[in-house]
Amino acid sequence: MLKNYFKIAIAVLMRRKFFTFLSLFGISFTITILMVMTAFIDKVVNDNYPDKKRDRSLYISRMELRGKESMNSSGLSYYYIDHYISKMKTPVKVAISSGFGSTNTYVNNRKIVINYKYANAAFWEVLDFDFIEGKPFSKQQEDNAERVTVISEDMKKEYFGDDDTPAVGKYIEADDIKYRVCGVVKSLPITSYLLYADIFLPITTSKTRLDADKGYMGNYNAIVLAKTSADVPKMKKEYDGIVAKLPIPGKEWDHLYSHADSYIEGYVRTGNETRSGMVYAITAITLFALFIMLLPTLNLVNVNITRIMERSSEIGVRKAFGASSKTLVYQFLVENLILTFLGGTIGVVLSLVVMYFINQARLIANLNLGLNFTVLGYTILTCIIFGLLSGVYPAWRMSKLNVVTALKA
Amino acid sequence: MFKHLFKMIWNKKKQNSLLIVEILLSFLVIFAVFSFALNSYNNYAKPMGFNYNHVWAISYNHTLETNNPDSVTLVYQNLLRDIKSMPLVVDAGYASSNIPFSNNHMSTGLTSNGIEVHNVNNFFMDENYLDVMGAKMLAGRWYNKADRASTTKILVINKMLKEKVFGKAEAVGKTFGDKAEDKRKIIGVIDDIKTDGDYQSPTYGLYNLQDTAAYKWMGKILVKVAPQADAAFEGKLYKLMAGRLKKSNIEIEHLDNKLVAYNKFTLVPLIILSIVAAFLIINVALGIFGVLWYNINKRRGEIGLRRAVGAPGSSVSAQLVSEAIILATLSLIIGAFFAIQFPLLNVFDLPAGVYLVAMLLAVIFIYLLVLICSLYPGKQASAILPAVALHEE
Repeated sequence: MLKNYFKIAIAVLMRRKFFTFLSLFGISFTITILMVMTAFIDKVVNDNYPDKKRDRSLYISRMELRGKESMNSSGLSYYYIDHYISKMKTPVKVAISSGFGSTNTYVNNRKIVINYKYANAAFWEVLDFDFIEGKPFSKQQEDNAERVTVISEDMKKEYFGDDDTPAVGKYIEADDIKYRVCGVVKSLPITSYLLYADIFLPITTSKTRLDADKGYMGNYNAIVLAKTSADVPKMKKEYDGIVAKLPIPGKEWDHLYSHADSYIEGYVRTGNETRSGMVYAITAITLFALFIMLLPTLNLVNVNITRIMERSSEIGVRKAFGASSKTLVYQFLVENLILTFLGGTIGVVLSLVVMYFINQARLIANLNLGLNFTVLGYTILTCIIFGLLSGVYPAWRMSKLNVVTALKA
Repeated sequence: MFKHLFKMIWNKKKQNSLLIVEILLSFLVIFAVFSFALNSYNNYAKPMGFNYNHVWAISYNHTLETNNPDSVTLVYQNLLRDIKSMPLVVDAGYASSNIPFSNNHMSTGLTSNGIEVHNVNNFFMDENYLDVMGAKMLAGRWYNKADRASTTKILVINKMLKEKVFGKAEAVGKTFGDKAEDKRKIIGVIDDIKTDGDYQSPTYGLYNLQDTAAYKWMGKILVKVAPQADAAFEGKLYKLMAGRLKKSNIEIEHLDNKLVAYNKFTLVPLIILSIVAAFLIINVALGIFGVLWYNINKRRGEIGLRRAVGAPGSSVSAQLVSEAIILATLSLIIGAFFAIQFPLLNVFDLPAGVYLVAMLLAVIFIYLLVLICSLYPGKQASAILPAVALHEE
């Protein structure tokens, strides 16, 4: 049965090449645009390098103060993390790091821009960076405020040149201080803005004294790691309890917010309590996808109707021989799905080409888009939605055809 | 004639309604792209208002151990003097962190002359700013060294703010600010500076002379250098900064590079939007093409009959083209109804002129598209021989 449908579908496709081209063009391009978008989002959200323990981590990166007239939202101070977060009972480890700042260094009359980040020793245990050379700095090195650093692979190339000699043991100058390289890690794209940096320095080598600021706000964030993923809700609750008890630091404020987020919640948090980043992001993506799909779908419906009307004699004959409307609708939907999947396959090929070019152009360094099962799964889902959307209405029109008029034509 | 054409369209309303929706949607998309692009172009055509070439911005943070205000002031003043005395430095001065292209804004709202103004950029700087930036004064004068010691509260505003508050009247010498504590005398009007890159319009600006307490939080030094200043010289400048402010994080950026990066905020969305729009337009074009094609094949009998009665080929194709044009007109009427809401409700704060021109362009674009897509099928129709068509019937 299906084999027959398949044969008929192919025959119909070959019949009017212009219409076939029209449908396939619409489908494949839509699928391409959606696929590249999905691949991008998937890469940004689901790529778990270097935080492979995401399922048992919570990210605490912001605090927001609200008053009647004003609001203030920023990262956390080291003092606050050390005093409140490090004292939590549920987490087994707390990674502390600063936001990345930029500085320059000048090597043989060349200027290099360096993005640096201060991190504690636990940072390397909570996150699983791929060490190409050497190893992270230890707790002891952190305590002694030793001037050692872990650098990214890209920084190694830029600073020490392209030769393959190991960088470990060499010195790198940043912010007018020489640091000894103790490890080289695989680079991150800048889109993982919570973890990205070119060089990671021990938190104790920070130029400003860590306990200088006794307020809550600062430039640091924390990742708390639970023992098992089952402990995560408990950890969340514990942090919420701490925040609820915090004294509000001034008369101009009446609310204080800070959350221990899962990775995605933290990623899209806008820093504004009244606007949920999650809702915002999902709405924007859905609207965009729907809009992109709407026009090609209308086009397909148009083309499908014209095609069906062309086949009215075939339909009339089948009906006269006793085929039910249901069978016909079913057949047509299957045909349409075959068409969509054909377009989808072309779309996958096209999107591979587009992704290849995006990766080649290095629009965002180290962000390599790729095809994986998640993206493919979404594509297949899109294809099915597409096929059904564009198939249902024409099929319904067809099933209502009167046998006599159909045969007459 | 028109009545007849409408009747034809009405008879096939089911098939045509889809086309109308398609054209409507593409009109709205093109309208959006044109509005965005036109607005960006309008802003691009305005002068920058200052010369960002060979201007470097040094970032520092205040980390001096001493709390004595006099010694803090001395450190920063000596630092600036030494930067100015370097061989390739033309001029230099302190500025607050909202320098051009920095994605850092300090805005405030105020009332003056009974007019409320929101989103006014608040800039703080010293007396060197005007020469370092190469900005122009339109009226009055810029600050000088003596102003720091004077007790009268004075202010420089930009052209946009002046026009908003004083209209065409002279502003220099007048008092600005309605509340007693913000009252300041205007000493000059500076030309608008596009601090948000090529494609964004300038906004209202207040230019405040910094006091000595501001060194702690200003965070930027703007340096105008000679064209031959290279990385080696930059390294020297860096060493000087790092040596003086030992505990501070220093970064030197070039304003022209920052501009390129900042423009991406406008260009990237515009490019993505254009790609999507192009894809949708191609889709619509093919759709119109397909439907008309089908129409002709279905109406061979009708066309054959018209030809047999004596209609020339040109009138047959004219009929098809005008049917398509009428369809487009129907969608454009609906589309224009939606689009006209934007300037009426003043959405996104774009000037109404931009919306209207974008609408006009979008209408012309859609008509051209429909015309191009219907010409070829129309020509095909006029080539139908009455004998053949009627024989098929």
